[in-house]
Amino acid sequence: MAETYDFLFKFLVIGSAGTGKSCLLHQFIENKFKQDSNHTIGVEFGSRVVNVGGKTVKLQIWDTAGQERFRSVTRSYYRGAAGALLVYDITSRETYNSLAAWLTDARTLASPNIVVILCGNKKDLDPEREVTFLEASRFAQENELMFLETSALTGENVEEAFLKCARTILNKIDSGELDPERMGSGIQYGDASLRQLRQPRSAQAVAPQPCGC
Amino acid sequence: MRRAERSPAPPACGLRVDPYGFERPEDFDYAAYDEFLSAYLAVLTRRALKWSRLLQGDSGLRRTATVKRYIRKGVPLEHRARVWLAVSGAQAQMEQNPGYYQRLLRGERNPELEEAIRTDLSRTFPDNVRFRKMAQPCLQKALSDVLLAYGLHNPGVGYCQGMNFIAGYLILITKSEEESFWLLDALIGRILPDYYGPAMLGLKTDQEVLAELVRVKLPAVAALLDGHGVLWTLVVSRWFICLFVDILPVEISVLQTVLRIWDCLFNEGSKIIFRVALTLIKQHEAFILEATGVPDICDKFRQITRGSFVVECHTFMQKIFSHPGSLSMTTITRLRESCRAALLAQR
Repeated sequence: MAETYDFLFKFLVIGSAGTGKSCLLHQFIENKFKQDSNHTIGVEFGSRVVNVGGKTVKLQIWDTAGQERFRSVTRSYYRGAAGALLVYDITSRETYNSLAAWLTDARTLASPNIVVILCGNKKDLDPEREVTFLEASRFAQENELMFLETSALTGENVEEAFLKCARTILNKIDSGELDPERMGSGIQYGDASLRQLRQPRSAQAVAPQPCGC
Repeated sequence: MRRAERSPAPPACGLRVDPYGFERPEDFDYAAYDEFLSAYLAVLTRRALKWSRLLQGDSGLRRTATVKRYIRKGVPLEHRARVWLAVSGAQAQMEQNPGYYQRLLRGERNPELEEAIRTDLSRTFPDNVRFRKMAQPCLQKALSDVLLAYGLHNPGVGYCQGMNFIAGYLILITKSEEESFWLLDALIGRILPDYYGPAMLGLKTDQEVLAELVRVKLPAVAALLDGHGVLWTLVVSRWFICLFVDILPVEISVLQTVLRIWDCLFNEGSKIIFRVALTLIKQHEAFILEATGVPDICDKFRQITRGSFVVECHTFMQKIFSHPGSLSMTTITRLRESCRAALLAQR
């Protein structure tokens, strides 16, 4: 079945082992928590079409193995990503401490303009928390990241994290800050927008898109 | 907590959990499996008789042409651990180092290693009832000990994700921690190139070697991947890292296929991995070539590790020695050298 969408964004999910990257992706795509899951070896892949600010956007999401040594294998997949979820586990300081290294990888290997949202996952395990909200939000501010605490278990803020990242990219396209036509932007026009581009302007108003905010 | 809906009771003809503790998937095709099994049982019976005779003989398990032929046709389950230990050299190592495994576990601890292993314990074979926390006995403890001992024994490698599946699988087959440890040592220390070390250079090299072999033997597939800028890492790194465990779906029917692959791996070495990979790709060449984009290519490479072709292990194992054509160790060694040099130059 052919899907129509205005844009396609390449996304990454990165962060240390055991932070719940694959569970976040699974929750976002399947709308449920993956109870019995294997860890990711190498790179996995998922996609979903979302509606953001009246535009349909296909998110092509690359989920990566978190163990340090796999970075040398997965890095090749960073190239041309438009957005990233940078994930740590709020109950593990160690996963928080390695954020800077992951961020450097994303900005040098994907694109300096990559839109990154920091996700403090396992929000449902608040009693075991080792990283405060305040501390992480300061880190996010200093590094110009968006920030949410998420729970792949309950689904809290999972959808929001992906949508927020997508919305920011769309805004940057609108403002001209991001150019989808630039090589390696991680953004492609979909069939829908190509059709619109080919059609005379008057035809564009026929089917207004519902607002998905 | 929400869980995936379960289907109603399985048909009376089959058990929901196989003899190794793996839960069968909801869409398990009992009829097709029974049909395959009734034919395969005859093969197994014949092989079992021949193996009993071989093992009773004086020549035993020296690596002769007869033993190689026998192993390619499948080692009966009851002899599997013994044969793997003998042909891989693990048995000799174990006998030369009595008590070594236990001493490793009593020795100095390494908290970082322990933490890395702990992260993956509940993520190893989650679909196997014996690896669940509530199982009695729970194999997570054995798994943890084998991985820990190995990381202490070979600190250059430590623990790499993927080793958990291999160790877990060895524990299921040998039912012995110590034997699993020495077999893991045979695989990581001798049989496989450096797949699991921090630089994973052996893994990256072998992925490139496979790419080169596909370029020569199946140029259309290579052109498809190259054309879409798909790196072979994406589609095959799991095949190499997990040695087809957890790739070819692990219920008993396909488990047989993985066991049969490992029979040859322990006896003939890492070349077997290329034979299996090339056979899977060649068999499904037309199907792979239908792919129109990167996600589609990934999906097709996932699908080719499923279905009747891989379930029918006896035919599958015959095909890995005929389908890919000639594949000499000289070729592999030469390709490994050139790919490794190219990778080192890129750094």
